[in-house]
Amino acid sequence: MPGIPSHRVPKGTPYDALRVLCALAVHPSALPRDNVQTVSNGISIEFSDVAKRYDLRVVFRAVSGEAQPGEVLVITGPNGSGKSTLLSILCGLLRPTRGEVRYRWNGGDDLPRDSWGRHLGVVAPSMAVYEEFTALENLRFYARVRGLALEESDHRRLLERVGLDPDRSTTVRGYSTGMAQRLKIAQALLHSPAVLFFDEPSSNLDPSGQDWLEGQVQTLVDEGRTVVLATNDRREMTWGSRNVSLAG
Amino acid sequence: MSRWLAEALAVAAKDLRAEFRTRVALNSLALFALTTLAAVSYTIGPYRLSTEDRPFLLSVLLWIVIFFAALAGLDRSFVKEEESHTAPLLRLAAAPTVVWAGKLLYNLILIWVLMAMLAPLFCVLMGFEIAMPWRFAAVLAAGGFGLAVTTTIIAAIIAQALTRGALFSVLSLPLLLPLLIFLIQGTTAVATGDLETYSNSLRAVLSMAGVMTVVSALLFPVVWND
Repeated sequence: MPGIPSHRVPKGTPYDALRVLCALAVHPSALPRDNVQTVSNGISIEFSDVAKRYDLRVVFRAVSGEAQPGEVLVITGPNGSGKSTLLSILCGLLRPTRGEVRYRWNGGDDLPRDSWGRHLGVVAPSMAVYEEFTALENLRFYARVRGLALEESDHRRLLERVGLDPDRSTTVRGYSTGMAQRLKIAQALLHSPAVLFFDEPSSNLDPSGQDWLEGQVQTLVDEGRTVVLATNDRREMTWGSRNVSLAG
Repeated sequence: MSRWLAEALAVAAKDLRAEFRTRVALNSLALFALTTLAAVSYTIGPYRLSTEDRPFLLSVLLWIVIFFAALAGLDRSFVKEEESHTAPLLRLAAAPTVVWAGKLLYNLILIWVLMAMLAPLFCVLMGFEIAMPWRFAAVLAAGGFGLAVTTTIIAAIIAQALTRGALFSVLSLPLLLPLLIFLIQGTTAVATGDLETYSNSLRAVLSMAGVMTVVSALLFPVVWND
């Protein structure tokens, strides 16, 4: 994991705002920083009777499950059964038609929905990073917009960890799908989230990349993070300690 | 507040940086504005309007050019996020009001840059004489803010629709029409040197922009998240 995330706080006058904006447009790592804030581990997810319907089309009915810290919940099901939809509901991007999703802090207090984003990282085919930026620029942006004060070396280390060259100057548009997938994984790990969602994470990765990803997921689990995985890949299915199957 | 501002500036800086590289919105705005200006200056030119009609008619033409140029490019900030599938990660990473403020700032900078290029050119090509140039700049600045704040929230609303282009114009027109009327009135006043009408018009424009800002800030989290 990169260093401990923290806020970046410029002064509040209009002049400072203009100065910071100009500096950011020219060089992205220009913000001042202080106020270190750690993102803690130990968040469990519980969902009960979750259903999703678009007009008359029922995607799934009454799905329940849970994932505790240090566990991998695997969501399986045939194509079109709603795995990705369920994942979007669990990470708060979609609202269920019925049912409830709860994030619990160390098994106790519920986390308010509007704070979920701070504690989770997502890798999914339907979610992209910015194609007109390089990998480093993408990480810098996500770090800044999340209020993290990461050093340039943290970004470089994270890119090396996912197998990307930090000195590569081409934008993401020039990346292969496998490289873009690795960058999405880096983006998801950037803020050391307590909960990670992976939607078919091995897709587009070469065999060595798949081995690497399996090791990464195991590391995340060992660190006490909660991992939710939507997949139909037989190998990825074996990573799970819990399973939810959607009928389709 | 400071952290919020820093994150909003990060969103605006990201959009500006992307725009400098692709120039999609800026090209749309500038090409539309320049084409319209060329057509208007060629057909009407500086001499075809009577002296008493000139301030009003040229104000109307100026704001028509700015209005349609704004419609041509200011929806890109949100539409691009949805089309390139970057919106979900942005939703997770940033608070809704941060995204709104960042996008508003980006649109504001775009429209002010457009105005800074277009207005002097319009005055020169059309022979539009302004009695109170600094107050003219104030009308343009306030009008730019009003246009930016209105088009930002409409762009957020239409970004998830299938028929985006048509919806943007259809929704923008009724919301921007009262603003345009006061902007035309204010511009006519600064051209003729009518200080009282200028003050009243500017107050009306700022009031409308203020109301739109508050409504947008309250509405945006719902539009963005649901």
